[in-house]
Amino acid sequence: MFSVLKNLFLRSVVVALPIATAAVPPAVAKDIVWARYGDIDTLDPHRATSTLSLQVWSLIYDTLLATDADGKPVPNIARSWTVSEDGTEYTFKLADGVKCHDGAQLTAEDVKYTVDRAFDAKNPSVTKASWGPIESATVVDPLTITLKLKTPFVAMVPFLADSFSSILCRGNATVGGFGTSAAIGSGPWKLVSWTKGDRIVLAKNPDYRNLGKLAENKGPPYMDRLVITTVPEPQARLAGLRTGVIQVAEPPIDDVPDLQKSKSLNIVVAQNTGQNVFWEFAVHRPPFNDERARKAVAYATDAQAAIDLVYGDLSLREHCPISRGVFGNDQDFCARHGQDHDPAKAIALLKELGYGPDRPLEVTMLVWTGGNREKLAEVFQSQLAEAAIKAKIEIMDIGTMNARVRQENEKPTGIGSMDMMTWSWYDPDILFALWHTPGAYRGFTSPELDAMLDKTRVLADPAARKAAVQDVMAYLLDHAIHVPLYTPGWEWVFAVRPDVQGFHVAPFVYPIFNDVKF
Amino acid sequence: MARFLAGRLLMGLLAILATTVAVTLLIHLVPGDPVQIMYAQSQGTTPEQLAEMRHMLGLDRPILEQWLRFVLHLLHGDLGVTIRGQQPVAQLILQRLPNTLALAAASMAIATAIGLPVGFAAAWWRGRWADTALMTVAIAGVSVPHFWLGLILMSVFAVQLEWLPVGGTGWAGLVLPAATLGLSNAAIVARMTRSAMIEVMSQDFVRTAYAKGLLRALVLRRHVLRAGLVPVVTMMAMQFAYMMGGAIVVENIFAWNGIGRLAIEAIFQRDYPVIQGFILVFATTVITVSILLDLLYAVLDPRIRVRG
Repeated sequence: MFSVLKNLFLRSVVVALPIATAAVPPAVAKDIVWARYGDIDTLDPHRATSTLSLQVWSLIYDTLLATDADGKPVPNIARSWTVSEDGTEYTFKLADGVKCHDGAQLTAEDVKYTVDRAFDAKNPSVTKASWGPIESATVVDPLTITLKLKTPFVAMVPFLADSFSSILCRGNATVGGFGTSAAIGSGPWKLVSWTKGDRIVLAKNPDYRNLGKLAENKGPPYMDRLVITTVPEPQARLAGLRTGVIQVAEPPIDDVPDLQKSKSLNIVVAQNTGQNVFWEFAVHRPPFNDERARKAVAYATDAQAAIDLVYGDLSLREHCPISRGVFGNDQDFCARHGQDHDPAKAIALLKELGYGPDRPLEVTMLVWTGGNREKLAEVFQSQLAEAAIKAKIEIMDIGTMNARVRQENEKPTGIGSMDMMTWSWYDPDILFALWHTPGAYRGFTSPELDAMLDKTRVLADPAARKAAVQDVMAYLLDHAIHVPLYTPGWEWVFAVRPDVQGFHVAPFVYPIFNDVKF
Repeated sequence: MARFLAGRLLMGLLAILATTVAVTLLIHLVPGDPVQIMYAQSQGTTPEQLAEMRHMLGLDRPILEQWLRFVLHLLHGDLGVTIRGQQPVAQLILQRLPNTLALAAASMAIATAIGLPVGFAAAWWRGRWADTALMTVAIAGVSVPHFWLGLILMSVFAVQLEWLPVGGTGWAGLVLPAATLGLSNAAIVARMTRSAMIEVMSQDFVRTAYAKGLLRALVLRRHVLRAGLVPVVTMMAMQFAYMMGGAIVVENIFAWNGIGRLAIEAIFQRDYPVIQGFILVFATTVITVSILLDLLYAVLDPRIRVRG
């Protein structure tokens, strides 16, 4: 028996040895290591919408336009652009000498390839609608491209500054494994490898020229490699930061005040994230088909107290359906239309509907897991309970929640459903995606709201567009369709080792590593 | 022996076949439409696109046909592609399986190296203070959650002493997760070893061996260990199989890129092809370990061979 056991033991060691040594090699000493709680969905910018994916695309691919510190579009690969008088034709002049990671010159053909791919009849981009009503992409000459639209669409310009519109080099069509093992862009970092769920290894693009991105460095990044690892456990990320294995990571939110006090790590809080966390409701069945029930939830919610308790000063109360930094945001205007915390009004409205302490309104509250949102949901749950709203919390992954919200809107019966939804966008066109018929989740829509939303897409004059956006916001707030809670809310706090210089975060939570040195 | 082996293999194959039926049905039994989840973040998805994707995944076919196609693809090593990212599931699992095997093997080695001698010593000194002390530690070891133990080990050995990395792949990265799992399992092995040894020590054949005048050490080594370790080896083998899937928490804490982490991610994302692949691999591992155990019993105890 001893020999059997000895054999078993030795064999297990012999099996384990080559296996463990064959595992992916750890990051080398001078890599920048950025640890995040999760991984990207894909390297193909037409197949996902998660912030985790967008952040990585922004490092590999470049975009026609870029955003300045206030979130406004500025030239990038496209050095200039003109718009036809009727607003249906955009012509972009591209910079000369931009190189793709495969060595090819980036030309108008690459832009056409990207646009045509996004509008592919069989398998269009998941954000096809945000590109706008593009009819055709025409190559005028190697450095000039014209996009023809069916109808005017002013939100296209900011869209072209976002990583959803990443320019894909034509080499991706033939490279094999595009999206999973290959990604050819012209951004500051080149893909070396992606081990799903574990790490993405990027090497600096020596040919990179920064034409408009928010980095002081106008050439290639200073560091040779950037390793983006997945470390789901916040305390493990913090331990990695403390030991120097990790340079940048999202810290455990609860530890941030202590870290700020001790100054052992630098805390960088992203500004102008465009993130909006809000209540929305399943409106095609009782009780939330009645505006009074929705308003009761809004009045019963003390968002300021909740975020003070859970996030301290890391998040702000948001009164608008579009967040700070997005065109049209006006806190005072929105506060006048929204429902501020007033439990007495909530109780009165519920009483009208026949609910009270003896017959509480029972609802399901769907919440996206992570970022301390579970704690926040519990605070909201107790606030709602004070107004006789009994909310059952259900926590889930964001992809599942998106599907579930749509399902709840399509269910004609069942108990009321509300959800703490989270969206991030760079333009008020987010409201079109959410609330224009048929609606992102098949929720509230109406012909009058559709007409107002249509106006926000075509008005080129900023003042006129702002007024149209405010009309939409007033409608959504007055009817408690979209009840804003706070901003930002996810992946917006970064802990950075003190020896790391030059790390910063561009608007809409795009970390910039071009200037990083340590 | 050949007949016994053939019988066990046939049973194993039938069990794997039954698992394929279960995973085919899984996609229809759990709430939430995978295609709707796939397109939940898409803007303006048309019903035609949803129908096309259902067709591509074969979800519009009769269940029997779906099962046959699943088995046929399985025979070609094809477990489908992930809902998010469209990556081959078999490739993802194979990429991570070595890491999980390495973690399971290393933690089992730690559990064996600590648990066996401790359990044996406790049995040897049964009823004395050493037995009480060792078993108190073992009970504490079983009770400590992996999560807590992992963070404590990380805090001491990675953050304070800086002897080991906080996580990641490679040899150094394996030590802490293996120790976390291994220490918990060592406690189980120790308790199991103690009970098995005590039971065997009271058997007639042990008394006979003493009566024959054999030395105590020889009796223990030749008679007690041989008989007493059979249930311990069974338990250890099943623990090994369990660790293939049960190491999820430890894999998460130490960012160890194993199939447990892949599975938990897939469950949260309702990525059915990955969940199906994981269940199949997990079930196959448990079945394979069971067959190997049966064979080991047959080697150790001829009566089992005759009955089989």
